[in-house]
Amino acid sequence: MKSVLRFGAFFVGILAILVLLCPPGGFAAGEVKIGVIYPLTGGAAAAGRELRAGAELAAKIANSVMPDLPMTMARNSGIKSLGGAKIKLIFKDHEGNPTLGADLAKKLILDDKVDGILGCYHSSVTKTVSAVCEQYGVPMINGTSTSPALTKRGFKWFWRTTPHDRWFTKDLFELLKGLTEGKVRGVRAVPKKEIINVASACEKTEWGSHVSRLIASFAKEYGFNLRKSLLYAAKSADLSSEVRSLKASRADVLLFASYTSDAILMVKTLKAQRVRPKIIWGQDAGFEKPEFRSTLGDSIQGILTRTVFLPKVVEIKALAGKVNALYKAKTGNDLGGASARAFTGVQTWVHVLEKVGSTKPADIQGAANSINIPGSELVVPWAGIKFSTSGEELGQNVLGSGLIGQYQKGPDGKMGLEIIYPFDVASADMIFPFPGY
Amino acid sequence: MEAIKSALDFSDFPRTDMFIAGVVSVFLVCFPIFPHSSFAMATMIQFLMFSLYGMGWNTIGGYGGQVDLGKAQYVGIGAYTAAVMLTRWNVPFWVSMPMGMFFAVCWSFIIGYPLFRLKGHYFAIATIATSLVLKDLFEVWDFVGAARGLEISPIKYSPPDFLRLIFKQDVYYYYIILGFFFLGILYVNWFRKSRLGFQLRSIKDNEDVARSLGINVHWAKVKTYAIATAFVSMVGSFHACYIKNIEPEDTMSLDLSILIALMAMLGGAGSLWGPIIGAGVLIPMKSYLKEWLGARAGLVGIDLIIYAIIIMLVSAVEPRGIWGIVERVRGRKAR
Amino acid sequence: MDILVSSLAAGLLIGMVLALVALGLTIIFGVMDIVNFAHGEFLMVGMYTGLLTAQSLRIDPLLTLPFAAIVGFVLGVICYVGFVKFLLRGPMVAQLLGTFGLMLFLRNLALLIFGSEDRALHHGLLVGKSFDIGMGVIIPATKLAAAGLSVAAFWAVWILMNRTKIGKALTATALNSQGARYMGIPTERMNALAWGIGGASVTIAGALIVNFWSVNPFIGLLFTMIAFAIVALGGFGSVPGAFFAGLVVGIITEIPGIWDFFTYTFNIRWMANVPMTSFKYMWVYLAYFIIMVVRPRGLFGWKR
Repeated sequence: MKSVLRFGAFFVGILAILVLLCPPGGFAAGEVKIGVIYPLTGGAAAAGRELRAGAELAAKIANSVMPDLPMTMARNSGIKSLGGAKIKLIFKDHEGNPTLGADLAKKLILDDKVDGILGCYHSSVTKTVSAVCEQYGVPMINGTSTSPALTKRGFKWFWRTTPHDRWFTKDLFELLKGLTEGKVRGVRAVPKKEIINVASACEKTEWGSHVSRLIASFAKEYGFNLRKSLLYAAKSADLSSEVRSLKASRADVLLFASYTSDAILMVKTLKAQRVRPKIIWGQDAGFEKPEFRSTLGDSIQGILTRTVFLPKVVEIKALAGKVNALYKAKTGNDLGGASARAFTGVQTWVHVLEKVGSTKPADIQGAANSINIPGSELVVPWAGIKFSTSGEELGQNVLGSGLIGQYQKGPDGKMGLEIIYPFDVASADMIFPFPGY
Repeated sequence: MEAIKSALDFSDFPRTDMFIAGVVSVFLVCFPIFPHSSFAMATMIQFLMFSLYGMGWNTIGGYGGQVDLGKAQYVGIGAYTAAVMLTRWNVPFWVSMPMGMFFAVCWSFIIGYPLFRLKGHYFAIATIATSLVLKDLFEVWDFVGAARGLEISPIKYSPPDFLRLIFKQDVYYYYIILGFFFLGILYVNWFRKSRLGFQLRSIKDNEDVARSLGINVHWAKVKTYAIATAFVSMVGSFHACYIKNIEPEDTMSLDLSILIALMAMLGGAGSLWGPIIGAGVLIPMKSYLKEWLGARAGLVGIDLIIYAIIIMLVSAVEPRGIWGIVERVRGRKAR
Repeated sequence: MDILVSSLAAGLLIGMVLALVALGLTIIFGVMDIVNFAHGEFLMVGMYTGLLTAQSLRIDPLLTLPFAAIVGFVLGVICYVGFVKFLLRGPMVAQLLGTFGLMLFLRNLALLIFGSEDRALHHGLLVGKSFDIGMGVIIPATKLAAAGLSVAAFWAVWILMNRTKIGKALTATALNSQGARYMGIPTERMNALAWGIGGASVTIAGALIVNFWSVNPFIGLLFTMIAFAIVALGGFGSVPGAFFAGLVVGIITEIPGIWDFFTYTFNIRWMANVPMTSFKYMWVYLAYFIIMVVRPRGLFGWKR
């Protein structure tokens, strides 16, 4: 009888532990806490590391005085209008799992009492996290998720700095159209029938499935023939039947939306199956990670990827060069689309907070809606940051723009991205057709 | 009337059990009054949900002895019915939940009928297979959002909305699932003493004897499977309204099926309190280990390693689970 | 036409590899009637073993096979002696629960040690190489090698089971373990041996597969399911059955390729829009379900 009682006491005890143990929420004075939710482990861990480094660099610049950097947030230490309050980033790892992301957001808001949220890279996670933020009235700035649907939900607490996939996909088809019209640097006009057959393979969650739809609708609009559009799981360990299906479609242009490990696997399998399209284009993410380059080596020569930042931007933008040098000293890699946008995300937070001088959500909301950061402040080659406050898309930065880069072997023998689109800032001749791995 | 009386009658349990159960119920009812973190609240809701999943599983898996590893498909059906009906046609939860149960039960008849020709391992593996097939279908079915999943928009409804079960504070969800939890206990208490309950136990002991007693073994199993399904689907609908974002990967994954079965088996399959004990021990342990060792110390997966070690120990030492240990201790005392 | 031929070729090759994955499961099941849910996790251990030894010792991944086999054998024997032995005393439920526990344990141990990132081999004698055998049919060299070794492994196991004393003892244990014990066969040791051989064969498969698939801690379950399907199709406990069932399952996973063949040969528009590749493994599960319901013995089974 006693042991039964003891067992019962143990059971009750376990339940009681729950009540007593609230995660400690330290309140240090003069801090602005931003919850940052990134995929620090999982299939996109490589991206997570980059994002984290980019965000940390921005926070460091904001928290210290760096007079040689020509940007507002480097001039004073902390947020001046908040009495020099420092930016504190609280990182959480969502592993690419939307439900976990929502859980973490709730925890950050209720237990850690953060003043705002930044994240989350995967569009699927951003979707759930922004829903939680909307529910609790906590501002969230998103710098890296590009599914167009995210800003079409009428959320009032969600702002996105990056341009979204509709623009990027349009850029792509502009490039293809440019090819047929001879606008591309270094390539003579290509007869349209040589590149009319298009096939796409996208990862199947929020981001990829929207890209897939966009490709289908733009292909129709621009008069291309979509032979095959596949969706696949980013966690696949093997993509050979997908690749064979792409090969069977005999498409001239292959379009992908892939995260890191699947992008590498995809190109490896394409190579092994000897698929020889004329153009391979990746929708950023996996296709521009340092891992993609280092793993696949020379075989990526000629692959195109859309991006918002590539090292060549340094040549047309001095500020980017300086920040890139800091980033390179920190990580050993150049800034990429992900890290540059994470940097910009934190920077936007700093500007918003500087403008409002308070951490009240309602004030932040007002400031974010009226903020206007000039392009000269940013590392990314955008005209600036200004959020739309009306119309179909709420909280979308209207001044952003994208680039399309191509992997080319530089004179130093290293594989690097060259700007191909927009045509007026192209940094090199385009390699066409795709030379084969 | 008779059924209600039977459901409320716990007199065949020892008095200490009832005392402990009473204390725990009072604690559960009062829990939100104490100061608690949102994390503790989320863990408690998880605990209640998994207790209910476990109770459902326990009817067929525990009393019937048919180890079912495909319960997630019914979680999915329940969750999707609620979410699709709410987002597309604005059907309130209290209508869509029974609809979900209805669909789930229909599906359970369709696959249960052939499935119960199998026994033991074969049955267990076949349930996994059906669950995975359904998940693959949902992942490409555009009407239910395919792999993107479905989102219940937080701004379309004005919380607290009791009809659609849309709340801002978790405490509402807590009390609703707590209500289901008590109802579930009463139902299982009735079930174990019902005709079907006795039939099942005799099937579990020896199928041939049961058949010779004139029990329609196959039909009894299929019926119980449907009951288990209804339970799981109900909680699935709740899950959709609570999480507000569902996708096949989440609601229909094999991991969920396994977790449901493991919790019930660990607590003690075939007893009323088993699944509750299983969930009560494992869910808090899992989330707190994950939080302390996983998130803080960076030891990813350590929670599940400890969890797995416990499972291995229990299965090797006392296959009847924690409840089995309790009963064994009790038996020794009585002697 | 080339689409069809290359799909079928790929299906047969992958089928042989998958058969090797299932071989261990069918041996263990045949000898002692226990379903090992941790089977895919054994495979994952093999994959990591192959990957890490190749990377750390800078040797060709194919040379890691003996090492993987040793690891698998030891792992299998340890699992049996240290754990599974105790499960056998309990009811079927305990066996399910226990091997599930083992699965969770191995999986999360890998997660703890290696992290959840996908890892893949990028260098090696055969990695990334392929042969063009004409008609547009491309055969990846790694898969060809893996398939060849799979055939060799099946042959070796078949010889072991049918031509050696140990094999006879194993078969005797499988048919009637009590009787075997009376005949002086150390059944405990035979069981441990079965786990050892089963573990070794599946880790070899893992070390081969890692040449062309990437590995992460969660990969096991997919292979467990495929291995179950193969074993069920071939008949639980049947070694030749597993081989032929492996080929069948290999072809089933290539249904998308066959679909593409019809799509593009007859140029049927709507067929191009059906997401067949998403269903790749669904057909395997479906085949398993149907075969279990219609013919539980499997195609070649001798045991119920």
